[in-house]
Amino acid sequence: MDPVTLFSIIKGGIVLGALYALMATGLSLVWTTLGIFNFAHGAFIALGAYVAWQFSATDAFGWPLALGIIATSLVMFAIGAFLHLTLVKPFERRSDVVLITVITTLAGSAILENVLLVIWGPRSKQIPKMAEGELAVGGFHLALSEIILLVLVLAILVGVGAFLRYSRPGRAMRAVSQNREAAQLLGLNVPMYFALVLGLSAVTAGLAGVFIGTIRFMNPAMGSEPLMKALIVVIFGGVARFSSPIYAAFIIGLLEAFSIYFVGLYWAPAVLFFTMIVVLLIKPEGLFGKYQRTL
Amino acid sequence: MSDPILSVRGLSSGYDPIKIFRNVDLTVAKGESIGIFGPNGHGKTTFLKTLSGLIDPWSGEIIFDGQRLNRPGERGSRKWRNFNYDAVTRRRMDPKQVARAGLIHVQQGNLLFPELTVAETLSISTTAARGRKGWSLAEVQSLFPRLVERNDHKIRFLSGGERQMVSVAAGLMSAPRLLILDEPTLGLSPKIRAELCAAILTVKETGLPIILIDQDVAFLEQIIDTLYLFDHGRISGRMSREEMPDHDGLMAILFGDQH
Repeated sequence: MDPVTLFSIIKGGIVLGALYALMATGLSLVWTTLGIFNFAHGAFIALGAYVAWQFSATDAFGWPLALGIIATSLVMFAIGAFLHLTLVKPFERRSDVVLITVITTLAGSAILENVLLVIWGPRSKQIPKMAEGELAVGGFHLALSEIILLVLVLAILVGVGAFLRYSRPGRAMRAVSQNREAAQLLGLNVPMYFALVLGLSAVTAGLAGVFIGTIRFMNPAMGSEPLMKALIVVIFGGVARFSSPIYAAFIIGLLEAFSIYFVGLYWAPAVLFFTMIVVLLIKPEGLFGKYQRTL
Repeated sequence: MSDPILSVRGLSSGYDPIKIFRNVDLTVAKGESIGIFGPNGHGKTTFLKTLSGLIDPWSGEIIFDGQRLNRPGERGSRKWRNFNYDAVTRRRMDPKQVARAGLIHVQQGNLLFPELTVAETLSISTTAARGRKGWSLAEVQSLFPRLVERNDHKIRFLSGGERQMVSVAAGLMSAPRLLILDEPTLGLSPKIRAELCAAILTVKETGLPIILIDQDVAFLEQIIDTLYLFDHGRISGRMSREEMPDHDGLMAILFGDQH
């Protein structure tokens, strides 16, 4: 393999990994805190992309993309918190909450996808690129938009990590995820923090959707494939720490890029699932996981 | 007697479908500390969890400083055929509001937040204070000097006694007006136990009323004014500190002479 091809595979893998990291982080935030799996996460991805399109596309509002991304984050936060109140909170105290929320979040996902279809129609759309131009050294090409994407994703992940570690609401969120009862006894507003977590998770999913929308064509079902990948990442990497799905995301991204090159696009998911199963057989709690779930 | 700070009337609760304790009446006067003594597995901890709202009361009322903490009505009164609305939708009591009113519960063998450091835990412990003046970080650290050197350690790396100290410290920083301590000295080494008992005595001497569960009668005698005997999910006796017999005497009252 010549170095140019190798470079472009690795580059593609890292961009994929960054997107997966963003999606998986939101998914594992909800899983570690609320103890449920959010199947509407894929719909959040599509929703984020469409909302950003509405703000920033030239044939819609036409705002600058940076402004569109900020506005999208606010909208996604509100929608995430609202869906928590409607899809999850009513069943919180039931012992079978995990199973019930599988159904309710699936329902939410279906509803959201069809709302997208009704509002924006079935035709594929694309969000304007974050930047034109590219860096080229010899045969190595690196698009400016890819650099911006990587920098933004990194900044968002570091930002979320710092929020959880250093800010008071972030600490309270971790406290709530580690011991719900003790958090209540300290007077923490547990339902509010749950809504906050789902809002935050919707923001990260929505931003991932925006980035995907600048690279590929968008359609209302665009979230289901990334959701599957994010699921693989979370199971593959485990959720012991905030950072474990992030490492896993880059591993999976690179693995996917290489398997697309070597075994083809259609077999790449099979390779990923096979890897996940092998990891589960050897280390059921995930590559970086521990048995307990904490944030 | 002045107005009670806590008044519990006809309280029953448990884990569905088993009722753990029934018809408990208990009053704590302002400035009074009470103890609860009884065999393990007879509902003491469940009773305290109900007081702080972790478990919904099934019937009865809890009045803290003139304010009713649980919503009125019997458990399961809003039913349609087999469907119990209350179990799905609304809590009969909100632990967060109980804590914010100043009824602070320090749980038994509390793990707190295993992945948070001592400093992080204490930094979020002022949430319930809501403008009331609780213990400051410096005051708590002078009460438990051990915690200073453990400041940046995760709770899961602390010993049982140190965890208990963090729990009590977090409770004190929540600005309690009535502090519930559920077997704070359970399973501790004698040295740590002595430290903790001394600290609790210091807390009591600030005038803060305490509800204390403990198996050590000598320790109870130091802290409390009134002792309630808790037996088979009921209060089976009430006595002032002066009337309290020693440990064997209490066991004789609870189990008969042949215990």
